[in-house]
Amino acid sequence: MPIVEPSLVEVRRSEKLEMDGIDVSGDWNTFLEPRVHGDLDLKVVEWVRAQPQGDTISRCWQCGTCTAGCCVHTDYGLEDFNPRYFIYLAQIGYEEELRRYAGTIWRCVSCNKCVERCPKGVKVEEVVHTIGTYLTATGQAPESPADRFDRAYTENLLRRGILDEAALFRTYERLEGRRTPPREILRLGWNLLVSGRLRTGPLARRTRGWRRMRAVLERVLKEDQRSRRSTLGRPKLPRNGGRGP
Amino acid sequence: MSASSESRGPEDAVPAYYPGCSLDGLGRAYEVSCQIVLKKLGLSLDRIVDYNCCGATEVKNLSHDVSVALPARNLALARHMGRHEVVAACNGCVYSLSRANDAVRDEGTRSRINSYLGAGGSPTYDGGASVQHVLEFLHHRAGPSRIRQATRRPLAGLKVAPYYGCLYSRPKRYTGVGRIPGTDDPEHPHFLDELLAAAGAEVVADYPAKTICCGGGHALSDLEVSVAFSASVLHEARRAGANIVATICPLGQINIENNLDRIRQAYGETVLLPVAYFTQLLAVALGATVREARLKDNFSRPDLFLRNRGFP
Repeated sequence: MPIVEPSLVEVRRSEKLEMDGIDVSGDWNTFLEPRVHGDLDLKVVEWVRAQPQGDTISRCWQCGTCTAGCCVHTDYGLEDFNPRYFIYLAQIGYEEELRRYAGTIWRCVSCNKCVERCPKGVKVEEVVHTIGTYLTATGQAPESPADRFDRAYTENLLRRGILDEAALFRTYERLEGRRTPPREILRLGWNLLVSGRLRTGPLARRTRGWRRMRAVLERVLKEDQRSRRSTLGRPKLPRNGGRGP
Repeated sequence: MSASSESRGPEDAVPAYYPGCSLDGLGRAYEVSCQIVLKKLGLSLDRIVDYNCCGATEVKNLSHDVSVALPARNLALARHMGRHEVVAACNGCVYSLSRANDAVRDEGTRSRINSYLGAGGSPTYDGGASVQHVLEFLHHRAGPSRIRQATRRPLAGLKVAPYYGCLYSRPKRYTGVGRIPGTDDPEHPHFLDELLAAAGAEVVADYPAKTICCGGGHALSDLEVSVAFSASVLHEARRAGANIVATICPLGQINIENNLDRIRQAYGETVLLPVAYFTQLLAVALGATVREARLKDNFSRPDLFLRNRGFP
């Protein structure tokens, strides 16, 4: 992973350097110069911290344990998926660099190994999702397949209290503009249908007395989405902006 | 702060059972075989009626409060039944139910969630139901010794790779490892190994894919990753010398089986192995037939595998 401040590690030769009358010429590998980084904006970390899913972000001390065990980073080998780095960029407010990972950050599969191992109690998985949400909600990342799935899943579940898997599959295929050949669907689905394992549409299972709960939870969901919009203002970029590297 | 979230609390004679969406649907074989195993071991669970889906790992990305309220409603129903223990068979359910328990330890969150539950016509939740996986329940209440005694047909010839997947015993913050007795180790779980070995199976040693993710959370939205992960569950099992994989999660089972064709195309026929719920294998060991344990339901056809080895 790139280190954002190359001046911290690049050996720097100072031929004639005096400090308080003392000659300190020679090789320096950590030479801190006062500087102002105009691109940094702490809005991202402040917003993430204000969300119940992201409030543990400030505990992170950048040890990298999350990334060392991350299944997407190590097992799947997607090196660009680096939760420690995402948190670092959010902490220093480097949105421009964070945008480069817009096409990567959604690929977390929520296995929670990072949450298990974090020595500081950061809920890494939820924090990373919240950073991703920030990018999407501010228009810096396109809506990802996982975003669309989460939305389709939640709407489907809230309708009856019980998931209608076949309807979810159909909705999601439509959202992605994808079409599995009917023959393939039938091959997998037939066995499930005749054995009563897949009940969909009018036959779908439902939770008795769910209507009232549905009304309440749909209201809560809507309020959460509204407050997300109001705290973030208008998207900065068009919806298709900020594709990954 | 509820005291019972810090310890196991009172033990129910018959804990509440949360089936979740899959045990009553796609994971029917898991449900049926669970019931067989419970019955043969003289244990029982009391089903939560009118439960709702738990929201798994998806809902929390849209709304924190909805993602806590959904599982909290089920826990509240269990408390309403007078129970202190809830048993679930799906890793996703165990995760979201215990995550809700963690969230409602905060006073403010609890009263907010309870206001939704009340308005929705559900009992409110006091935070007093501990959550365990059915594997932990079986290990805690029956254990290897009872399974060994009750085994009628030892699983001879089966070299099983015990696949726990993610979210079974992690993160410990939610599952309560170290706080609650009877919980499995989050990094090196072993309950499944012990129960299968007690049923006469040879459990392969050194199976590195034990707790990796199957990619099921992104089964539809990220095929590349979910195929790669389900393939490595099978591939590592083969490398460890297994001839069958045992699962403890319907999402894992269904995701792996749904990807079989893609795995075959990408990695070849030799990677494939039959995959079965651990309760299906235990049910057979405890005397059920292959048909009763619904092994034919599985796309990877462990029914043929077992019949070839002489199981009725």
